[in-house]
Amino acid sequence: MNKEETFKKLSDAIVSCKKDAVVAAVQSARNEGIEPAEIIEKGLAAGMNEVGVMFERGKLFLPHVMMAAGAMEAGVSLLEADMPKDAAKKKLGVIVNGTVEGDVHDIGKSIVSTMLQSAGFEVHDLGRDVPLQDFIDKIKETDAGMVGMSALMTTTLPGQREVIEMLKEQGLRDKVKVMVGGAPATQNWADKIGADCYAENASEAVARAKELLL
Amino acid sequence: MATEHMLRMGDGKRIFLTKEQILADLKEGMADAVDLGSIPELSGDELDKLLEIITMPARMVGVEPGKEVPVTHDISTIRLDGDQGNSGVGIPSSRLVGCMMHERAFGADSMELGHIDYSYKPVKPVVAQEMQAMEVCQQNMIIPLLYGAMPNMGLYYTPDGPFENPGDLMKAFKITEAQESMEHAAKHLTRDIVWIMQRMMSAGADGVNFDTIGAAGDGDLYASLHAIESLRKQYPDIYIEAGMAGELVLGLHGEMAYDGVTLAGLWPHQQAPLVAKAGANLFGPVVNTNTSKSFAWNLGRAVTFIKAAVKASPIPCHVNMGMGVGGIPMLETPTIDAVSRASKAMVEIAGVDGI
Ligand code: B12
Repeated sequence: MNKEETFKKLSDAIVSCKKDAVVAAVQSARNEGIEPAEIIEKGLAAGMNEVGVMFERGKLFLPHVMMAAGAMEAGVSLLEADMPKDAAKKKLGVIVNGTVEGDVHDIGKSIVSTMLQSAGFEVHDLGRDVPLQDFIDKIKETDAGMVGMSALMTTTLPGQREVIEMLKEQGLRDKVKVMVGGAPATQNWADKIGADCYAENASEAVARAKELLL
Repeated sequence: MATEHMLRMGDGKRIFLTKEQILADLKEGMADAVDLGSIPELSGDELDKLLEIITMPARMVGVEPGKEVPVTHDISTIRLDGDQGNSGVGIPSSRLVGCMMHERAFGADSMELGHIDYSYKPVKPVVAQEMQAMEVCQQNMIIPLLYGAMPNMGLYYTPDGPFENPGDLMKAFKITEAQESMEHAAKHLTRDIVWIMQRMMSAGADGVNFDTIGAAGDGDLYASLHAIESLRKQYPDIYIEAGMAGELVLGLHGEMAYDGVTLAGLWPHQQAPLVAKAGANLFGPVVNTNTSKSFAWNLGRAVTFIKAAVKASPIPCHVNMGMGVGGIPMLETPTIDAVSRASKAMVEIAGVDGI
C-alpha cells in the first residue's frame, strides 16, 4: 500500500468513530514503517478535521465527535512507545476559552472547546458570563498561548475588545494570541479590535489555532 | 462604470455592489443551501426576481397588492419596554399596553403574551400571575392571543437545574451519561410545558407558541414535539405555533428520534413534517444569517431553504424574520431596507404563508 492510501485508511478509521478500526489502522501503518508523527498528523488528525467539518454540516453529531476523539487518543497512545518520551503526550498548546461577561450563550463556545480539545490542545474552559479579569488571571495561571472569546450578542461583543486592552495594559499582549468568535463577530471586527484571528465555526477555530500555535 | 447598488453585509455594514456581483452572491448563497440541505435550486426567473427586489431603488419595499400575508408577533410588550439587549426600544409600558398596541396600532394578526424571563421553566413559580395577565389581555383584545416562551432545555442543567451539564460530561468522555442527562432534562421540559399550558388554557389562552425550539439541540426539539403531541390530545382546538431556534437541529445527543426520524441534523424542510405530525398548526422555520457574507448571499440562501420547507410542510409556514435570521443582518434594530426586501422575497418567491 502506498503512503497516501495508508493515510486515507487512518483518516477513514477516525471518521468511522470506531476505536478498534483506528487501533488496527495504526498498527498496520506502524508495520509499514511510517513515522509516528506522520501517522498522527497526516492520518489521524486529518480524519479529525473531516469529523469537524461533518459535524458543522449536520452529518455527524457531538457524541460521534467525542468517540472519534477517544479513538484518536487510543491510536496516539499506541504510538507513544515509538516516540521520544513525552512527545506523543505533549499537547499542541494551551488555550483559555470562554464566553464574555454579560453573555450566557455557551453552546457554540463549548463546541469550540470540545473540538480544540479533540484536536489535541489543552483547553481551559471558563464557562459563560465570565468576568473579563478572569480571562487574564487564567492566562497567567496556565501560561496559555491563546485565548478564545465567544460573544453571541452585539451588546456583549465589546467585551472582546476590552480583554485585548487589558492584555496590553498588563504587558501580556505579545505572549498570547487572541481568537474571537460567535455569530455577530466577523473578520472585520477582529481586525478592528486587533485580534489575531476570527473563526466562523469550530472546525475553522481548530485550523486557525493550529496556524497560530504550531 | 457599472451602476452600483447599496446593500449590506450580514453585520449591517453598507456596501455597494454591481448587478453582476449581486447575482453572483445570490447564486453562491443558493448553492450553499442546495448543498447542505440536498434541496432544489431556485429557477432562473426566481433569481432574477430576487435581483430585482434587492436593486429596487426605494429604501423600503412591499409586497404586490393581493399578496399580503398575516404577521404573528412574539414576546409582546418586551419589544417595547425591553432595552436594546432585549431587542426592545425602552418605552415603559405594561404587558396589556404592549399587546394592545400590537393589535391596534401595529397591525399584528396574532399576538403572544410572554414573561420577561421568557423560558417555560421560570414561569412555574409565577404561573398565577401569568394566568391573570392572560385573562386581562383576553378581555381587552380581539386577535388570537397565545402564551409563549422558549423551551430552553439548558435551564435543566447545572448550574441552572438539577441535571449534570452534558457539555461537561461530553468533555470528560462520559458520552452515555451526557445522553442520559439530556433524556432526563427532556422529560422534565415536556412535563413543565404541558403543566404551564394547562393553566394558561384555563385562563383563556387561544394557544401556545414554542419560540426557539431546538436552542439546546436535538433534546430540546424532542421535548417540544412531545409537549405538542400531549397538548393536541388534551385540547383538540388549541392553536399551536412551533418556531425554531436555528436552521439545523444540533446533534448534541445524536440518537433521539420522533416518529422514527432521528432529530439531529434535520434542516427546515425535514423539520416541517415532524412538527405537523406532532400536532402543530403553524411552523416557524429559521435560516441563520452569516455576518461575514452579503445580504444577497444570505437572502439567496435563506429563500432557497425556506422555499423547500414551505413545499414540504403540510401546515402553514410563518418564517422567522428579524435580527440575524431570514437573510436579515444582525443588528439590534434591523434596517428597513433589508427587512422589507427579505420579507417581500419570502412571500413572493419562497411562498410563505405568513411572517
Ligand atoms: C440558544 C439561544 C439562547 C439560549 C442560550 C443557551 C445556551 N446555554 O447557550 C438562551 C435561551 C439562554 C438565550 C438567552 C438570551 N438570548 Co439568545 N439566542 C440563542 C440562539 C437561538 C442560538 C444560539 C446558539 O446556540 N447557536 C448554535 C451555536 C452552535 O452556534 P454559535 O453560538 O454561533 O457558535 C458557533 C460559531 O459562532 C463559532 N463560535 C462560537 N463561539 C466561539 C468562540 C471562538 C473563540 C471561536 C473562534 C468561534 C466561536 O463556533 C460555533 C460552532 O460552529 C440565538 C439565535 C441564533 N439562531 O443564533 C439567540 C440570540 C443570540 N439571543 C439573543 C438574545 C437577545 C437573548 C436574550 C437577551 C433574550 C432575553 N430577552 O432574555 C438572552 C441573553 C441573556 C444573556 N445575558 O446572555 C439575540 C442576540 C441579539 C443581539 N443583540 O445581538 C439572538 C441573536 C436572537 C435574536 N435574533 O434576537 N439565547
